[in-house]
Amino acid sequence: MRRTLIATAALAITLLAPNARAQDTLNQPHWQSQGAFGSYDKAALQRGFLVYQTVCASCHAAGELHYRDLAGLGFDTAQVAAIAANVKLADGPATPDDIFKNPYPDPAAAAAAFGGAIPPDLSTIVSARPHGTRYVYDLLTGYAAAPSDMTLMPSHYYNIAFPGMQIAMPPALKDNQVTYADGTKATAAQEASDVAAFLTWAADPNLDARKEIGLRATLFLIFLTILAIATKRKIWRESV
Amino acid sequence: MATPNVQTKPWLESRLPLSTFWRNHVSGYPAERDQPYLATLPGLILGALIFLAVSGAVLSLFYVAAEGSAFHSIQFIARSVNFGWLIQSFHSTGTTMLFAAVYLLLFRGILGSQYKGSGDLVWFLELTLFILLLLVGWLGFVLADGATGYWSLHNAAMAGARLGGLPGAIAEWIFGGPAGPGTLARMVVFHVVLALLLLVVASTLIIARRTTAPPVQRKPVALHPYYTAQYFTAFVIFALIFAILVFFAPHLGENHLNLAAANPLMVPAVLTPPWYLLPLAAIGSIVPTTLGGVIAVIAGLAVLYALPWLDRSRPGASTGLLYRFLVFILGLDVIALAIASAAPPSFITGILIKLFIVWYFLHFLVLTPLTSSTPVGATPVGATPAGGTESK
Amino acid sequence: MAGSGTEAMGHVDHVEAYEAPRRDFLKILTLATGAVASGAIAWPFIDALNPTREAEATAKPIINVGGIAENTAIRVEWLGQPIYIRKLTAKQIADNQFVVPDSLPDPASYGDRVKPGFETFVVVVGLNTGIACELEGNNPSDTRGPFDGWLCPCDGSVYDPLGRVRSGPAPKNLAIPRFTFLNDTQIQLG
Repeated sequence: MRRTLIATAALAITLLAPNARAQDTLNQPHWQSQGAFGSYDKAALQRGFLVYQTVCASCHAAGELHYRDLAGLGFDTAQVAAIAANVKLADGPATPDDIFKNPYPDPAAAAAAFGGAIPPDLSTIVSARPHGTRYVYDLLTGYAAAPSDMTLMPSHYYNIAFPGMQIAMPPALKDNQVTYADGTKATAAQEASDVAAFLTWAADPNLDARKEIGLRATLFLIFLTILAIATKRKIWRESV
Repeated sequence: MATPNVQTKPWLESRLPLSTFWRNHVSGYPAERDQPYLATLPGLILGALIFLAVSGAVLSLFYVAAEGSAFHSIQFIARSVNFGWLIQSFHSTGTTMLFAAVYLLLFRGILGSQYKGSGDLVWFLELTLFILLLLVGWLGFVLADGATGYWSLHNAAMAGARLGGLPGAIAEWIFGGPAGPGTLARMVVFHVVLALLLLVVASTLIIARRTTAPPVQRKPVALHPYYTAQYFTAFVIFALIFAILVFFAPHLGENHLNLAAANPLMVPAVLTPPWYLLPLAAIGSIVPTTLGGVIAVIAGLAVLYALPWLDRSRPGASTGLLYRFLVFILGLDVIALAIASAAPPSFITGILIKLFIVWYFLHFLVLTPLTSSTPVGATPVGATPAGGTESK
Repeated sequence: MAGSGTEAMGHVDHVEAYEAPRRDFLKILTLATGAVASGAIAWPFIDALNPTREAEATAKPIINVGGIAENTAIRVEWLGQPIYIRKLTAKQIADNQFVVPDSLPDPASYGDRVKPGFETFVVVVGLNTGIACELEGNNPSDTRGPFDGWLCPCDGSVYDPLGRVRSGPAPKNLAIPRFTFLNDTQIQLG
């Protein structure tokens, strides 16, 4: 009897599970910044910035970021100046006060280069998509061979994470595309995870402060709530 | 009774009797005993409004009201201004908390039929507060110049421009023509002016509650320290919920796409306003034409204004069990309408939205007169005192 | 309440009397905690009006001067004004060190124009003190006038390498901005 019940339940779950994609459910990617007590893993952010600068920055802009903001990743002033100096702007090397370089001088040039599909600005992409960190990771690792019954538009690629399954962006990450300074193995999945972490930071650089202050504020206010309720009750009991 | 503070300057007191006023109308004011915590809602609302005004003032030091620069200026606030991210979160989460309080206030008013008899003015003031707040909230939403806010403003201005006659003239006066450079600057001014008006309405509401409250039935207690303690506790609990949202769920109820910059060349896939505008926006979208939509929204608000007449129960009689049950169903209906209109459109959600809107109007126009004229069931324990509004 | 105006005054006597406050621990603790909460909430609002990090950096920029070659000056724009930082040659120092201040149109000694310990650097605002005009003379190849300092192309005022006016319509020496030497190679303006 019990076995029938379990079998029926398992069948029901598989039938009702919404569009379960074939994905690696054993090794769920996890980011240290997730959760109520999360904080940024600066090592991952630095690795992610390296991938971003090497791979993504050639097509994507990040107009809300300045190079001086990279101090938040744990770089010191000299490293930030060096990173900026490596960027070639139209009138010379960049300074830390410059905005992240936009690969295209205007949207028309970008549209011309990509057949109309302009690469979106990545400064706030993680906030602008539901579960943005996971979305970026799934997108970067979601390239696959198109199913036989689907015809892709010209210059498009099949991606299971992108709405509509067809994306104009070519698969950008390969194994060992960068060499990590801290020795982490640069698999495509690792690079995707690190870039997702970096873009999460780009969208929300104050996460650490927010959660730390939040924890203290919440505990303090719980304490104050208890005090306030106790005081109110005491006053109402007295001579009422 | 407490003696006057001996440090009061007789000079000032003889010209502007502030401490006497304070003693008579605030600290020593005779209030009804054992009022529930929820009676502090109007005070919480006024406090939240003041908090939003102060945080809005700080934001306005850095905000640039120009298309194309507005989003960037908000990013500057969030990234560069000292605690700018926190002030911005105060302002947006404060709006959510304020709307939650106002919805709760309206729900309580409907549930307890507090609009009967002399409570109708307070009810009208609460509704005016609600409508002004919706306008200020929508203006704040479009001022953020995110992807969905930009299109909300753009669509509203374009739709207004297409109206004819008097409604078209009014729409043109509000927007100054099709949305373009200069529209945001107008919206900022409206946002501030209507917010100040809100403060006036909220204060008038609190005064009107006091002046229309029934005479104190049992021996009254002084406002201080009994109700100052209760208000303090209510504020602290409000602040605790507020803090949890500010620090751990700063974008609750927002459409994610609004956190990307506006792009005039791209319409986002899902165009929804913030959660507090969803029910009314759904009612407005049910009619395909612009004028029809405006009339639908006005109708949706008009049934609330008409409650003192739709409710057939006698002033002084408590509402029946069936009526109160139906009001809870109304509450669920409004919440379900908001959820359904925020979901990606599909055949089922389309039907559900129509169903929920029909029920909404049915509740007010049909069910309320029917079930309130003959109260069914005994007065539930803990009902509001007979006569409508509570004393302060 | 209707008609509560004057009645309220009398009503106060009938209100349930509240005993003279006994300052007990719980109430004091609650009030104090509430005060701390108010202060903690108020601080972000106050600090938001303080200058941002970038504004402070703009107000007090750090300039690298170690790379300036002798006899040349760099031009840095600070708060809308051009700042010239020149490194003097030994000959220029010798020629100008012992000039009697009173013989100058605007008396100033060598020590007034340079910072002690860093006498080879001159930091001036590169604007003529007569007719407002930016000076020439930063490069060795520029026309510098007879004193090998700066020359105003607008009214012909002549300055020496320390920025003191030597002749011409200009009445005063070049303005010196507020600055400090952080070390041998960096100065901070402001």
